[in-house]
Amino acid sequence: MNENEPFIGIDLGTTNSVVATVIDGVPRVIASRTGQTLTPSVVAVARNGKRLVGHMAKRQAITNPENTAYAAKRLIGRRWGSPEVEDARKALPYEVVAGPEGNDIRAVLGGRTFAIPELSALVLAELKADAEAFFGRRVTKAVITVPAYFNDGQRQGTKDAGRIAGLEVVRIINEPTSAALAYGFGKQMEKKVCVIDLGGGTFDVSILDVGKSVYDVIAVGGDTYLGGEDFDRRVMDWLVFSFAQEHQGIDLRQDKMALQRLRDAAERAKIELSEAPQAAIHLPFLASGAEGKAAVHLDRQLSREKLEELTKDLVDRTIQVAERTLRDAGVRVGQIGEVLLVGGMTRMPRVQQAVRHHFGREPSRGVHPEEVVALGAAIQAHALLHPQKGKEVLLLDVTPQNLGILVVGGYFSTVIPRNTTVPTSQSHLFTTVQDNQSSVRIAVLQGASDKAVENELLGEFVLEGIRPARRGEVEIEINFDISADGIVGVSARDSGTGSRQSITVTATSGLTEAEMRRILEENLDEMLTRRQVGDFERLRDRTQAVIAEIEGLSPRVLEALAKSKFGKDAVSKAEDVVGRAREAIQARDLQQMIAVEEQLDRALQLFKGLAAGGAPGQKGG
Amino acid sequence: MTAWPSPGEGGVKADRYQGFLFNPADLSEDVDLEVERRREILYFAATMDGWTHWQALALPWNASASDARDAYREKAKIFHPDRFQGRRLGGYRVRLERIFRRLTEARDVLSDEASRAAYAQKTAPPEEVARAATRRIENDVRAKERRARLVRTNPMVSRVARVKELMERGRKAREEERYEDAARDFLTANALDPTLAEARSLGEDAKRRVGAGKARELWEKARAAELQNDLDRAQLHAEAASDSDPGEPRYVVYVARLALQRGALQTARARAEAAVRAGPSLASAHEVLGDVLAVQGEAAAAKKALERALELDDGLAGARESLRKLRWSFLR
Repeated sequence: MNENEPFIGIDLGTTNSVVATVIDGVPRVIASRTGQTLTPSVVAVARNGKRLVGHMAKRQAITNPENTAYAAKRLIGRRWGSPEVEDARKALPYEVVAGPEGNDIRAVLGGRTFAIPELSALVLAELKADAEAFFGRRVTKAVITVPAYFNDGQRQGTKDAGRIAGLEVVRIINEPTSAALAYGFGKQMEKKVCVIDLGGGTFDVSILDVGKSVYDVIAVGGDTYLGGEDFDRRVMDWLVFSFAQEHQGIDLRQDKMALQRLRDAAERAKIELSEAPQAAIHLPFLASGAEGKAAVHLDRQLSREKLEELTKDLVDRTIQVAERTLRDAGVRVGQIGEVLLVGGMTRMPRVQQAVRHHFGREPSRGVHPEEVVALGAAIQAHALLHPQKGKEVLLLDVTPQNLGILVVGGYFSTVIPRNTTVPTSQSHLFTTVQDNQSSVRIAVLQGASDKAVENELLGEFVLEGIRPARRGEVEIEINFDISADGIVGVSARDSGTGSRQSITVTATSGLTEAEMRRILEENLDEMLTRRQVGDFERLRDRTQAVIAEIEGLSPRVLEALAKSKFGKDAVSKAEDVVGRAREAIQARDLQQMIAVEEQLDRALQLFKGLAAGGAPGQKGG
Repeated sequence: MTAWPSPGEGGVKADRYQGFLFNPADLSEDVDLEVERRREILYFAATMDGWTHWQALALPWNASASDARDAYREKAKIFHPDRFQGRRLGGYRVRLERIFRRLTEARDVLSDEASRAAYAQKTAPPEEVARAATRRIENDVRAKERRARLVRTNPMVSRVARVKELMERGRKAREEERYEDAARDFLTANALDPTLAEARSLGEDAKRRVGAGKARELWEKARAAELQNDLDRAQLHAEAASDSDPGEPRYVVYVARLALQRGALQTARARAEAAVRAGPSLASAHEVLGDVLAVQGEAAAAKKALERALELDDGLAGARESLRKLRWSFLR
């Protein structure tokens, strides 16, 4: 492993994403090429067919709502037909359809279908490119964060997204754990910490026992459908309703463009109200007036009190979840030594007040609650890839939901209970129920209910090639394991003969291996051309800078060499290299430029040495 | 700096693996691990299944929950697979994962106070079991002494204890059919604690049984006297029997019958009426009243009483005969 190989930590958020790294032992956020630390998790296909990501995509969202995908995180790893997806379809302006297998979901942008991990991959690729611009070299290794409450499918989907973006996902870690890691970095913490993470789309609570640089998660809880966007929607609904009252029933929900403007305005007002007691919402020409009348504008004042009234139940829900998680952890409020607020939504004064009231202590917040998660991911990447003696950091996380199987009667039998420290595994013995039975079907689920249908189906596995025998004679040991990423694995073996059984996955909400390959190949061409363009420009700038430096030094070098008999051929060699580099730039020949780069560097070193050492008299004179 | 090894350290190191035989093939597997680390992993993975949770975390028996948490963290730092990210581990990867699971299992049991205490009891070494048993016996003796002292010094406590004692003794007496003793104990207990309704009802019951027993004895004496034709003595005993068991009307009937035989009609009439009052559905009571009335010449009333007696028990030959005689005299 190369000691200096760059690595990144990525907070792939519902609304915004952040990328960070650790340099000289200090974690820091990497700003985008346009200088921002937050990159909107928005992907769009413009009218000219060009793919846009981040700020560019967000800026054109109002004029192109049908082809702008946001909140992909809410859909990743979900199954077609699940209530969450049905809800999302009603609220999202872009089209969402079933995948080819009918299990997963796809988004249609600019006439092309995207798997949800592909959308996330575009955001990841953008962050990766930002990191590469920052380091000036390729970046492949990354730790990506997900909400603690994400299930196997959602984690798998996120990992797939990383792969599509050309990243080696070293680890998937939980956002609240990551935040705790960033918060505890460089401190000697010995206490129980409760992390409250209210982000754009998800809500997480984690209780950790921190000591001796070990971050030991005791319990996690959350709601993958509670976040800033729900607050925005409350404001939107209020605006739509009062607008309809004022203007004789003009329903703004019919107009996608108006809706997008409302969404932006609602979010802006909400953010403003964290600082100010009043926010003005002014949207001119929001809708065309009824029959020939002039266009109508929206002009309203939203007070902080009104916002708090509109979102009271959402805030209450966060406290309920926190309470439940504390109970699961077997920890009383008084034993919590630190309450950490993470996520943009915790800027809302009412949220802070509710937390303060419930825990009876002042919660801690970093200066940038949006950045800590990415910083923690970078710290974990650093700890995994470059372990340093004496500075070991270890994360011990837990699985958020019960893992189990479908049993007779439609019931759910838990194999690995929630809040079990991962990695972990558990074996289960199955037996055949018919003579000469050759296969067994096992449905693996995740969730909290006793009834199988109320839980999330992770996949169906078919065990094949069971040796022929009387019923009950063959016992098959199925091993369920959960990796440190929180991803579930299933393997089986005949406990009589010890031979391994093959397992076929017949239904998951994720991408199949074949489909994954297809997507990777499809994206490769596009990425290659884009990369080459980017790489060429980066390298050209660098090469030109080196050439300029060499030429700047050359009069002094020549002067120094004039008194000496040596080094004449070195100068001519350098001149030759500079000439070839110029040609390569002229011809836009990337390969040639890469070939010349090293020689150019050596020439520069040589010149620097000659200029400094070869002319001592100049310094004095 | 001295060259002395710290006490114990050298010794621990020397027989750390206690003669464990390492498989040379495992030790020489082509992996990215130092030899000492390999030994540690191989030894742990091969022996951990036979260990207690305390041993897995290298803790003494009955170490505290917080010690278990600390020890787990220290061990996790050594054996967690994350510590070897990016290294070639070969067959050691599976071993590390198994070790980590074993450590977690031990932590899960020992870091929770309730399960830790239960496990400590289950895994207590023999000398600890003996010590705990001795302690328990000593504690019992001491507790008894303490209670006795309390009883002696505190009137409130002593009364409660006395009531309890009386009740127990009363129950025992009742079981052995010593109803007199039982009644005395129960009623004393009730007197000490008037709120104790159970003592009262048990006491009354025992008292009644005592009376019933006495009455039976007296009745037998009366019968004996009657057989010897000593009707006066029989009358005395029968009266006493009736007094001893006032709830039993048969004794009253017997008294009335004796009085009638002796010709003491006043007494006979009063007793017979008392018998009917005490046992309105007792045929013999009505019968004796009828006989008394017949002798006294109140034929109509006598007839009514006898008819009532036959109504209640038509097998009463005496009553039938008396009634027939009455009819006859009526016809005459």
